[in-house]
Amino acid sequence: MKILLIEDDQETADYVARGLRQQGHTADHAANGRDGLFQAGDAPYDVLVIDRMLPGIDGLSLVRTLREAGIRTPVLFLTALGGVGDRVRGLDAGGDDYLAKPFAFAELLARVNALARRPPLVDVQTVLRVADLEMDLLRRAVTRAGKEIDLQPREFQLLEYLLRNAERVVTRTMLLEAVWDFHFDPRTNIVETHISRLRSKLAQGGGAELIHTVRGAGYALRAPVPVAPA
Amino acid sequence: MPRSPLRPPRLLRTASFRLAALYLVLFSASAVVLGGAVFWMTHESLIQQMQSRVRAAEGHFAEADQKGGAAALVEHVRKYARGAGALDYLVQSPSGARLAGQLPMIGARRGWLHLTATDQDGTKPVLAYAEQLPDGVVIAVGDDLSRVHRADDAVLRAVALSIAVTILLGGVGGIWLSRVFLHRVDAMSRTAEAIIDGALGQRIALRGSGDDLDRLAETLNRMLDRIEKLLAGVREASNNIAHDLRTPLSRLRQHLEEARGRSGSVADHERALESAKAEVEALLGTFAALLRIAEVEAGAQRAAFCRVDLSAVAETVAEAFAPSAEDEGHRLTADVAPGISVHGDKELLTQMLVNLVENALRHTPRGTEVRLSLARQGRQAVLAVTDNGPGVPAAEQEHVLRRFYRLDESRTTPGSGLGLSLVAAVAELHGGTLRLEDARPGPHGGALRLEDARPGPHGGALGLEDARPGLRVSVTLATVGDAGLSVIEGNQLAG
Repeated sequence: MKILLIEDDQETADYVARGLRQQGHTADHAANGRDGLFQAGDAPYDVLVIDRMLPGIDGLSLVRTLREAGIRTPVLFLTALGGVGDRVRGLDAGGDDYLAKPFAFAELLARVNALARRPPLVDVQTVLRVADLEMDLLRRAVTRAGKEIDLQPREFQLLEYLLRNAERVVTRTMLLEAVWDFHFDPRTNIVETHISRLRSKLAQGGGAELIHTVRGAGYALRAPVPVAPA
Repeated sequence: MPRSPLRPPRLLRTASFRLAALYLVLFSASAVVLGGAVFWMTHESLIQQMQSRVRAAEGHFAEADQKGGAAALVEHVRKYARGAGALDYLVQSPSGARLAGQLPMIGARRGWLHLTATDQDGTKPVLAYAEQLPDGVVIAVGDDLSRVHRADDAVLRAVALSIAVTILLGGVGGIWLSRVFLHRVDAMSRTAEAIIDGALGQRIALRGSGDDLDRLAETLNRMLDRIEKLLAGVREASNNIAHDLRTPLSRLRQHLEEARGRSGSVADHERALESAKAEVEALLGTFAALLRIAEVEAGAQRAAFCRVDLSAVAETVAEAFAPSAEDEGHRLTADVAPGISVHGDKELLTQMLVNLVENALRHTPRGTEVRLSLARQGRQAVLAVTDNGPGVPAAEQEHVLRRFYRLDESRTTPGSGLGLSLVAAVAELHGGTLRLEDARPGPHGGALRLEDARPGPHGGALGLEDARPGLRVSVTLATVGDAGLSVIEGNQLAG
């Protein structure tokens, strides 16, 4: 994956770029808004990671300019400003996701992955499937190996998010935001308990574990290795 | 501003002196006008009296002349001129010779005349009326004007005296008032100077008269109280920040030293680094909470307020926390009235409620019941989290809202002591009121009691009296509009 990082703090930029390269991605770096705008418009990138506060052109204007130029590359905002209003402004300007500094690299990586593989909007899926687990979005029903599983509405949402992001890591905060609309970090492990309940419901009829804990990062819904993903 | 040597003394520059001087000028002017009017009216009325007396006497003599001729007239005049305070006369023959009377000769003049008469007391001004009778004899009757002049002088003296008294009293009073005013303003400035120099406890002395200066002083004192309290809060918060952050930072250093120094196994290193990371994360959490509180207290979010379905928020939070609560041996129940909306910030209201629930779950022992309730009370929404745990002593209830404040019993549980501070800040941002009270039924108990709601044969009276005090934290917010829309939204969510 080709990622452009627009960040003026050299240390953060090195840390992020090194991490992304270790994961096998190509990471380019621009140290100010002007260079970033030029590079983002010049070469095709899969994801742009943009700091909100940049010398030259600030992050918001940069993304607005890109969007006006018809460049739809997904944008992840990085910022030291974590306030509610800041996040809303970032998303309004055309950003796709928002991550407040300080952040864990695993969080950044999970969000970059989620952005890069976001399915195109035209592709309306009505059935989500991983291995023998199937979710019918129209009937709002979940079956495993043909057997119906009774889920609470929130468990359904949780599983739907995991299925839509199957095969990649989703973090606790991504789940908190997507499922509960909590844009802060509660001290209670509510994600863990809901995941564990979901796991036990999915395991009722036997079958291999589908929801895997990724240490230090989050969770991933994966098909068991011997079975090829559908 | 540089002080010019030509400026008048301070006293004369006070607002009250200027006001007094202005009033003095106005009062003096009105006294002059009033005195002038009195003088003029008195004078005119005396003159009129005199004129009518003169005309009456003159008519009387004309009649005598008509009946008895000039001789009778002369006789009459002589008779009348003798009495004390009598009028002055002149009877003049048609040829211009004096027939009787002491008034100076008037020649051919007729009508009202000002003459100077001479008698045994000297000269005196006289107002006289002269008329030629049908038989050619001229009669003039006059009265002493000096009486009028004496009355005029008396009135003038009285007016002058009253003006002098007005000016004197006004001037003295103005200076006195200004001194009092200046004295009190000086007292205020002295207090202000003292406060500027750091004596924050200083207050402006009140006179207890309840006048406008007293009221101003009272308002200023209240403002100073508020400022002092805020400053104390800031000072305490910074002290606490320094103190509360030092502990985790020193632990962090220990972990890092362990990781570097000890030649342990890879697993040891990893464990030390893991602990260090956990410390850092806790520190970052504390900072995030502090920044959040500061952000909320700044009040900028108010601009982005919109309609929030508080019922949906409460349902979401209750449902999100119920499994974790259960895993930790608590019971979280919800009693949420549908369709209650408020004007506010959804994210902050959610976080406020999460903090309340977490606070209840974290600081109560296993087996405690926690109930989240949302009820409509008139035009207000009452959001409450009630537990039947050990409660908070009444003396401590006020303190737990302070930043970093933690009950002694809670010192060992993880947490920053900032949860309820954020709740208080969010409640204030939304114009709500936050209340902490014992949940135990009784004269001071809240309307909602866990025991009352406990279903089944064991509910009710059992354990009601010996229940632990528990804690009920409630936030009262103003609701908005008709709830119809929110109910539909709620159903959609549920569906």
